[in-house]
Amino acid sequence: MSDTDTPQGTARRGDGGKVYDAGPEGIYPPTEEMLDAPVDPEVKARREADLRRAWETPKGWRYWSAVNNTEVGVWYSLTAFFFMLCAGVLALLMRIQLAVPDNDFLSADRFNQFFTMHGSAMMFLFAVPMFEAVSILILPAFLGARDMPFPRLSAYGYWSFLIGGIFVLGSILFNVAPSSGWFMYPPLATEQEGIGPDIWLLGLSFIEVASIAAAVELIVGTIKCRPPGMRINLMPLYAWYVLVVGVMILFAFPPLIAGDFLFELQRSMDWPFFDPDRGGDPLLWQHLFWIFGHPEVYIVFLPSIAIAAMIVPTAAQRPMVGYSWIVLSAVGVGFLSFGLWVHHMFTTGLPSLSLGFFSAASEAVVIPTGVQIFAFVATLMVGRVTMSQPMLWIAGALAIFTAGGLTGVMVAIAPFDWQVHDTYFIVAHLHYTLFGGMVFPIIGGIYYFYPFITKKKMSDRLSKWAFWLTFSGFNICFLPMHLTGLQGMPRRVVTYPEAAGWDVLNMVSTVGSFIVAAGILVFAWDLLRPKGRQPLTERNPWNAGTLEWSHDVPEEAWGVRSVPYISSRYPLWEQPKFLDRFDDGRFYIPDAPEGKRETIVTSAVDAVPQAVVQVTGPAWITLWAAAFTGGAFILPVFKFYWLSAFSGACAVACVIYWLWTSTAQVPKDPMRDAGLGLRLPVYVTGPKAPGWWAVFITMLGDATAFASLVFGVFFFWTARPDFPPEGAALPDMMWALWALLAFVVAWGATVAARELNRGGRQGAARWCIVGAVVATLAALGGMWLAIVVPGLQPETHAFPAVMYALTVWTSAHCVLAVVMLLYCLAGSVFGKLTQLYDADLRNTTLFWHFMCLSGVITTLLVGVAPRLM
Amino acid sequence: MTEETLFRHKSIWHMIAAPTVWTLHFAIIYAITAVECSKIGTPEVARLSILVLTVVALALIGWIAWKAWVQWDYPDDQDYVHDKPTVEDRREFLGHAGFLLSIASAIGVIFVAMPALFIETCL
Repeated sequence: MSDTDTPQGTARRGDGGKVYDAGPEGIYPPTEEMLDAPVDPEVKARREADLRRAWETPKGWRYWSAVNNTEVGVWYSLTAFFFMLCAGVLALLMRIQLAVPDNDFLSADRFNQFFTMHGSAMMFLFAVPMFEAVSILILPAFLGARDMPFPRLSAYGYWSFLIGGIFVLGSILFNVAPSSGWFMYPPLATEQEGIGPDIWLLGLSFIEVASIAAAVELIVGTIKCRPPGMRINLMPLYAWYVLVVGVMILFAFPPLIAGDFLFELQRSMDWPFFDPDRGGDPLLWQHLFWIFGHPEVYIVFLPSIAIAAMIVPTAAQRPMVGYSWIVLSAVGVGFLSFGLWVHHMFTTGLPSLSLGFFSAASEAVVIPTGVQIFAFVATLMVGRVTMSQPMLWIAGALAIFTAGGLTGVMVAIAPFDWQVHDTYFIVAHLHYTLFGGMVFPIIGGIYYFYPFITKKKMSDRLSKWAFWLTFSGFNICFLPMHLTGLQGMPRRVVTYPEAAGWDVLNMVSTVGSFIVAAGILVFAWDLLRPKGRQPLTERNPWNAGTLEWSHDVPEEAWGVRSVPYISSRYPLWEQPKFLDRFDDGRFYIPDAPEGKRETIVTSAVDAVPQAVVQVTGPAWITLWAAAFTGGAFILPVFKFYWLSAFSGACAVACVIYWLWTSTAQVPKDPMRDAGLGLRLPVYVTGPKAPGWWAVFITMLGDATAFASLVFGVFFFWTARPDFPPEGAALPDMMWALWALLAFVVAWGATVAARELNRGGRQGAARWCIVGAVVATLAALGGMWLAIVVPGLQPETHAFPAVMYALTVWTSAHCVLAVVMLLYCLAGSVFGKLTQLYDADLRNTTLFWHFMCLSGVITTLLVGVAPRLM
Repeated sequence: MTEETLFRHKSIWHMIAAPTVWTLHFAIIYAITAVECSKIGTPEVARLSILVLTVVALALIGWIAWKAWVQWDYPDDQDYVHDKPTVEDRREFLGHAGFLLSIASAIGVIFVAMPALFIETCL
């Protein structure tokens, strides 16, 4: 991460006078005169034509091969919205069932399926994907970038989400949906007959993988694709929130993936991780689930409040008061939210001292959460507020969220929670936080960004109707639930007796729920109604100050006409002549001379231009990759394990084809004229490259999943007296140490290959890669011999089961490591990976740092730790 | 624009140092309590360790806060907005945010340690 104010004059030269790390050349930052220099209209027209051709959206049936963020983002958000409507219908059906006592509108089993799917779909198919969808759609515009850094990855994520979502939600139509609650607690869920829990585990794991892919993309986009000059203190607040939430996803989702992995192993192979009769513990699942589940709430909340952070300054017509305070708030919540998970487990009998830590942290998180609300209120107070439609929704959001926050402070106190745990009080609390913290800001955001997305406006009148119906209906529905809960009505019951006296409150809630539905329907109609005859919007309808309102009306697919030089937080307010320069193409890369899709990569903190990199264009391979990945996750539900493995192999093949043909291509000309007297390299490697960051971030998430498995081992050790059980066979130490040694050798060989390749000794580098492959296979064999030779039986007890699970996990990574090494070897042989252009090898080495660490930890845990326990 | 640049002046890692201390403090005292309550049954050692660890964590956060305050350099120009495209504003912004995060983290550490003052058993 090296940031300088001016690019180095010449490229750095390596041994033997060969250039191996080209840097920017020329002038940076640009002067006012340069920015004012007019562009010849003919040149401008030619450049626009070139850009239009490069970024053209495919037509006809080929439209679905598009990968541009404006297409994928729209599909993504509409799909998430559709899933939300489906989950909402389930809620309405449940409200009908609960409207009167002793009702038999729904059978108990169907009711169970409905509340399970309502929660699962709202969280996994709506709330988190909606954040990703909206961010993919608007983040590049905030950052003055042409597209996300990895458009095909966005498309792959979308198609995975669509397939997974239809699979999970569709199960309800066949009466086989999961029915043990959205948190799938064992033993209920491990013992449940049928395929419901498998659908949940595998389908949602698939979607979580897509979520992590989106998080990687958004983090890299925020760090590496900001426009020149947009230093970290000038970043739009939305980007700050995206960065924080992306990192949170990275640390929150992997524990659940690890949990799903153990859970599915128990269901399909009968390895008893959660079975207390055989040394397991159901509480392990609760820990893993809620280490995911509580940060998840903030993962949902922060991006929505980020939308509010864009709307509030516009409504107040002034910059946000307390930018640093909002950053404190976002980052602080990001950290503290990981110390709350046990407040979902207050009634599980943990030591009250431990409960105290989580109760205290739950109270502490209120501080940063409150700070941002106060910053919003302060901005509105000192500004001159124009009450626009988006602002109405944000105001409603703040009111509802504050109410939900206050009940949150109440339930964070353990003794109070013991009273209301699993009652309707909690249902009321969580809906207040999620409606106020997610649904209202998102709808406000859609009203706000709609002219940017479609170049048309939504209706003011319908917005008012939608708002007041939703707002009043929401309170009529959920306010009484506080009382219903305090009167003792438990959650997740299919019906209740008349004598309980809950009938009036329930009827009121049911009426309210239908008013909410009416409001949402009005909104949906306003969103989707044909607007063909309506005039186009003006360019900046809210008179906002941020970059996205420099969009083109009517629409152009190129994202931005030229990548701007930024010197303030609100360029449209504070940088005079900005739009003229922007439209005239006087900023960076205003052209596409080779007809390629390109965007600018800048340094992480100070946004100094580093390179112009090509981004990928339309392709079908992403669809194929998503379909085969879907097969790999979905087929095991029906016990088609071999077909699933085949499908997984096809997915890997698709991804390899996609990488080989379109990423890290050796350029014809190493430098490109970026405009404004600046020449930039078109190929970057190592920490300058977006791809390197993507690998680094992915591996952080992967390491978190691995750490969750390690946590599992220590959890069993503390929670169970018989871990490892007395007289049980222990894994073989010598084979484990052999594997450890082999991991270190493989890592060393990979690093040596990278260094030799950079030094120009390709032949030796290739032999090192071959050596690394052999060592990896030796490690793989050693790990398995360590557990197979002493005769560990994973079905008998949680101890051998968790040793097997660790081995399976690390083995899968070994296979991946071998594929990556062979990819580099092929690259070196066929001229895709050279001395200068070694991004693939650099990324593989980065992967190996993590691989070696997890290999060493696995072998020590398997070979040595059980002898010490 | 020619201001000399220390690594910490452009480092987000320094900005998040204080909440990282909070995280470590939280994780360690949770682990110590869990192990002692399950293996021994009374939290004597845990409570003492929490006291020591809390003092250590607060000292660390105090030091981080002081460095961030110096980096923010508020008394110099009373700037708390930091919206100029300069090295100085970027440095001051990261210092300012790091300082605020230190305060939030210190409160978090104190909050989380307090149960150990009052709760004397593992029940």
